[in-house]
This record gives sequence, C-alpha cells and structure tokens, in this order.
Amino acid sequence: MKHAITKKVDLNNGDYLMEVEAPNVAEKFQPGNFVILMTREKGERIPMSVQKAEDGKVSLFIKRLGKTSKELDRYKVGDSFFQVIGPLGIAPEMKKYGNVAFCSDLVCGHAENYAFCKGLSEIEGNNVISIQTFPSEGDIYPESELTEHLCDEFYLTTVDGSKGRKGHYLDIVKELLEERKIDYIFAGGDLSKLRDLGELTKPYLIPTIITVRQIMIDGTGMCGSCRVFVDGEMKLTCIDGPMFDVHKLNFEDILHRVGMYKGEECKAMTAFEKQ
Amino acid sequence: MEKINKVSVPMREQSPSERIKNFKSVPLGYSEEEAKTEAQRCLQCPDPVCEAECPVSIKIKDMIKEIGDGNFKEAFLIAKRDNPVPAIAGRVCPQEDQCEGVCTMKNIGDPINIGKLEAFIADWAMENKVTEEINIKDKKEKVAIVGSGPAGISCAADLRKLGYQVSLFEALHKAGGVLQYGIPAFRLPKEIVEEELSCLEDMGVDIQLNRIVGQNVTCDALMDDYDAVFIGTGAGAPKFLGIKGEKLMGAYSANEFLIRTNLMKSYKFPEYDTPIIVGDKVAVIGAGNVAMDAARCAIREGAKEVYIVYRRTINEAPARNEEIHHAIEEGIKMLELVNPVEILGNEDGWVSGLELQKMKLGEEDSSGRPRPVPIENSNYRMEFDTVIEALGTIPNRLFLSKTTYLKKDPRDRILVEHNLVTNIQNVYAGGDAVRGNATVILALGDGRKAAASIHKYLGEKANAQTIF
Repeated sequence: MKHAITKKVDLNNGDYLMEVEAPNVAEKFQPGNFVILMTREKGERIPMSVQKAEDGKVSLFIKRLGKTSKELDRYKVGDSFFQVIGPLGIAPEMKKYGNVAFCSDLVCGHAENYAFCKGLSEIEGNNVISIQTFPSEGDIYPESELTEHLCDEFYLTTVDGSKGRKGHYLDIVKELLEERKIDYIFAGGDLSKLRDLGELTKPYLIPTIITVRQIMIDGTGMCGSCRVFVDGEMKLTCIDGPMFDVHKLNFEDILHRVGMYKGEECKAMTAFEKQ
Repeated sequence: MEKINKVSVPMREQSPSERIKNFKSVPLGYSEEEAKTEAQRCLQCPDPVCEAECPVSIKIKDMIKEIGDGNFKEAFLIAKRDNPVPAIAGRVCPQEDQCEGVCTMKNIGDPINIGKLEAFIADWAMENKVTEEINIKDKKEKVAIVGSGPAGISCAADLRKLGYQVSLFEALHKAGGVLQYGIPAFRLPKEIVEEELSCLEDMGVDIQLNRIVGQNVTCDALMDDYDAVFIGTGAGAPKFLGIKGEKLMGAYSANEFLIRTNLMKSYKFPEYDTPIIVGDKVAVIGAGNVAMDAARCAIREGAKEVYIVYRRTINEAPARNEEIHHAIEEGIKMLELVNPVEILGNEDGWVSGLELQKMKLGEEDSSGRPRPVPIENSNYRMEFDTVIEALGTIPNRLFLSKTTYLKKDPRDRILVEHNLVTNIQNVYAGGDAVRGNATVILALGDGRKAAASIHKYLGEKANAQTIF
C-alpha cells in the first residue's frame, strides 16, 4: 500500500505536520493510539503520535531531530512513505470525566493534546481544559493546529514569557489545583516534566494518565524493548500503554532506557550528513 | 547388489573463522553430484519409516529415489506436493528427531541426510526456475488466516490449491513470521523465505501486511466476512526471568535481539536505520535453538566473547545438536549448571554483569530431564556488557486480549479439538498459538491439518445448502 504525503506544514522552526494517506489506520484511530512509521524499507519503525485521523488520512506532528526525522524532512507532498502501521496501543475510553485537562510541552504531546481535546469535547459533561507550553513566542504553532478551538478552557504558556502566560504547564496545573477541583488529567511530552506532574498531582489524589515514550520495534508486544514497571509489574508500552497512571510508574528506569541508543543515533546522523 | 555406503556425504560449510564475519548461510549446499551420491545411499525401504515421522507427510522415499536418479524436477514436485516450503523445512526441521532419527541406515551407519536433500532439491528448483504447475478451480468461499508464519503458510497453500479465496493477515511489514524475524539468515537465508512466500502470491493468496488483528481489523469482522478463520498467531511474546536488573540498558529479550538483527537488519547499521548494541562480553541465558541463534548473531555483530548460560548441562539442552555444534565451532562458550539470580548494573544504568548461583543435577522432572537443584551459598559474579534472555516465548497477549471468547488453557494456548477447530465452529487454530513453543515443521503440519478440516467443514456446509 502506498502512503502518499498529502500535506506538509511547518509548525515552527523545528516542528512540522505531515498528513499521510493511511486508510486502515485512520478508520480505527482513537485518541491515545499511536502509529509506527517507516520512511523506506531500510528505515526504522518509528512510533509517532497522531494529531488527527480523518478521510483515510492521519496527521503526524514531527520534530526535526535525529537521523530518521531529518531524513523524513526530505519527503515532500506527493512522495510516499514505505509503511504507516497502526493504530497501536490502548486508547483510553472517551467518556465523561468532568473537569478534565490535557497538558503538553513537546511536539508529540501537542499532537495528542489535539486528538484528546477533540475526543473529550464531543462527550457531554466534560469541561475540557487544554494547556500547551512552548519555549518562546516564535515556537508557537499556527492557531489552527493549537487546541483552543477544541476545548472549553485554553491556556498557552511560554517558558520565557514572551507570549501567553510565563512558565510551564506545571505552573498552570498548580494554580488550577489550588483554586478548584480537577477530576482527571492527561498529559504528554517531555518525560521529566511528566514525572514532575505526577509529583504535583499525587497529594491531590487526581488520576493522572500520561503518555510514555519508550524505544520500541514491532509495537505489537513481540520484542519487549518498551517494558516499563507499573507498581513493580512489567508492562509493555506498546500493548499495555502507551498511557499509564503516572503515580504507579518507576520513572528512573524509563528515563534511563530511553537514552539507550543515543550513541548509535549520533553515528547514524554523522553517516547521514556525509551522504 | 551394490555395496552399501555407510557414510553420508558431508555438507560443505563456511569455515567458522570466516562465517562469524558474515550472515551468509553456514551450509553451502550439496552439488548435484553430491546430492545424487547421498540419495543413492537410501535403501528404499519397503515400509519407509521416515515418512511416518514427517509432520507434513512428504513422500520421502520417492523424493530420494528421484534425486538418486537425477530426476530433480520430479523430486521437487514430490516434496512440494506435501510441503509448500521445502527450502525452509529442509534447513530448520529437527530431522534428527523425525525422518532421520528413524532412518534404517542408522542401524549400520549414518542416516540419509534427508533435510539436506530436501533443501537441495528446493534450491535446485529455485535456481532453475522450476515451479509447481497448479490448476486451481476457484471456489467462492473465503478463508481468513491470521499470521503468516509456518502454520499460516501451509494452511494458505493447501486451501488455495483447493480453490478457496484466501487472505493472509500479517501484523509486521514483512510476511513469514518467525521465519522472517526469528531465525537468522545464516541458518535460513531471507531470499529463500521471500522466494517461497512469493509462490503463495503467485497462487493467488492475498497477503495483507500490517494488518494487526485486534487493532486495525477485528477478529469478529473476520468471522463475519469470511466463511472460516485459521489462527496461526504463534507464540511471539518474550518470557522474562523476572529477576532484578531487567530494566537495565544492555539487557535484551532474545526476541528483541533477533527482531533487530533479522527483521530490521541491524547488522547492516547504518545502511539500515535500526541499531543494536552488542558489548564485548555477552551472556545468553537459556540453551534452546533461540539461545543458540542469539549467541551466534552476537558473535557476528562484534562480541568478543559469548557465553551460553544454562542451569543444566549442555547434554540436557533443548537446542538441536547441529546448532550447539555450530555454536561451539564459532567459539561460543558453554557456562553450565548456573542460574542467573540478578542482572548487575553500573551507575549509568548499563548492564555490568550477572550474579550466578551454581546448580547441580537432581532427580528427573516432568520433562524427563534431571532437575537443576541450586547449591546453597554458591553465588558468584561474572562481568558482562550485554545480557540476552532466551527463555522461550509465549502467545501474544495483543491478539488474545481482543478475542476473549476463544477458549484457552491457563498458559494462554488456544484450545482446539482433534481437527484443530476451536470452541467457535468456523474458527480453527494451530502452530505455536496452540502448542506453545514448538517447531516450524509442527506448525506446518498443523496448517495442513487445519486446511483439511476447513475444507471438510466448508464442503459439508455447501452440501447442506444445496439440499435445502
């Protein structure tokens, strides 16, 4: 099957959106699912977050980082990818949560934020709060790709304060928690901030479900590479996740394992840039 | 009468020092003359015991006769009639426990090298572009097969030959299942897998890649849209020891290690994008075929020292003798009678070694092998950079969690009747999904058996419809 690229838009200097034909994926996609992308036959199987799935196409948010995503950046509208596989992972139920928030501070998290806001706002009884954090004004995505038009309450922060509120989504969450009852929090993005989020919400006993990013290959439970420990029990990010209760996760392990192939990525990058 | 030749024609192989630098086939294959000489040793027993042992019932005696007479095409067609993938089975079957194990020649000398002859004849056909001519009379009934490993392949081939419309659903981006992701190229070259699979497509089997039953297609939909379903999802999920340190970087399941190496071709990194990290000193825990495969991949991917770490002795190892022999030739060391109790790590989170407990052999256990018994206060430590756990595999939870209506045993193996039907009347299952950890050839056999059952079921159903 050909996976033609139908749209490519820069989100900021580093991030961009790609819309790709993938009817089998789009048909079954639910917020919380992910896909695996292979640019070419010799490529890696790269797990990716999905922002939107409609009309037989999926929209991916991608960061220009590492060899594969640099290589990926060479693809233009009209080109095709070798494979887009999915949807994978367990999608949390889109149901009435009440006061429910989604927080994000990185490209993958922003894609998930969008998908969740859309899904959650379709359910009656949800007050959907979306918080998006960017480093600076120049990094903020175009309005159509932000979540403001999909949620009930929208907070935009920049770390340097150049636009929106100054600070991180963690600061907003802290304020919200002090001020009123939040029923449920979802979040995706930078792993160390997700850990901090867990620490922040724990005393309030608020269920906090986050997206874990782990190295994976098949994405179907075969390799065991994406194993994490939930309450001490081994789980696989690909088929038991990728969303887990942050309060039950052992974060030190996760942060370690994610960096396993850093050295190899540098080698691949050097080889790629020489080409 | 001609003099009986007691000694088999040896298989030429790449030398160990050469082959540990590449992933090319270790055996170099028989020449036509060598194959004929080997085949001519066959006694052509009136009652060929070898055939009774073959899970797919190849007419071995006739095949060997034709090879001996130099009629390679006929020999190939005989093999192919009962085995859709002779080039594969000839290489990976445990012949010593099957056909060759009961060969009459064994009483006076070496058994006939049946596996090598089967591989020879299939390779010969590929080289000479000889294919099976099949006249398919199309039927309207549709059959869905889940999983394109050995069980799925043979089921698909037989059903298609009978005229059914067959769709084969594969979760990965390449068909072949364990033949593709599990067995390394030096044992089973991937061109051979692809060639034998392409025969399926030529027959008109519709192979659908990246179709993950339970994710982008439901089993319920298959049951509704197809007249019958065969489940050959295998046992593709890794087992872990559950000891401390499995979170460390440099700790792999054999499945991951082999998937990176074989499916993703990490040994060609960075030409292929998927990396693998193999330290200087590697421990492979376990002594089955998968452990030998992982150890032999590790030595080819740059490890300086590779150890098989096993709690019994190598005499009790479940791996085939040929694999153990090849591994030892390649410099793999056997560390026997030790049980890993912890994977040790350094402060950066990388594997630094194993804590091992010494074992001794005790009474026979249910497997018929002496039970390994721990020796108290015998723990010691050994340094390793990479630890690979090869403890066998279990059925994949992904498929099972979405098909809770299928009856399973406590070890998640799908329960089937004698004719391989599950508790649902149009759903059949076979191979490792039913057996747990078994062999390629038993899965091939199950696929054929299920195809026969499905044919019977659909035939009866069609007859019933004609009557009313």
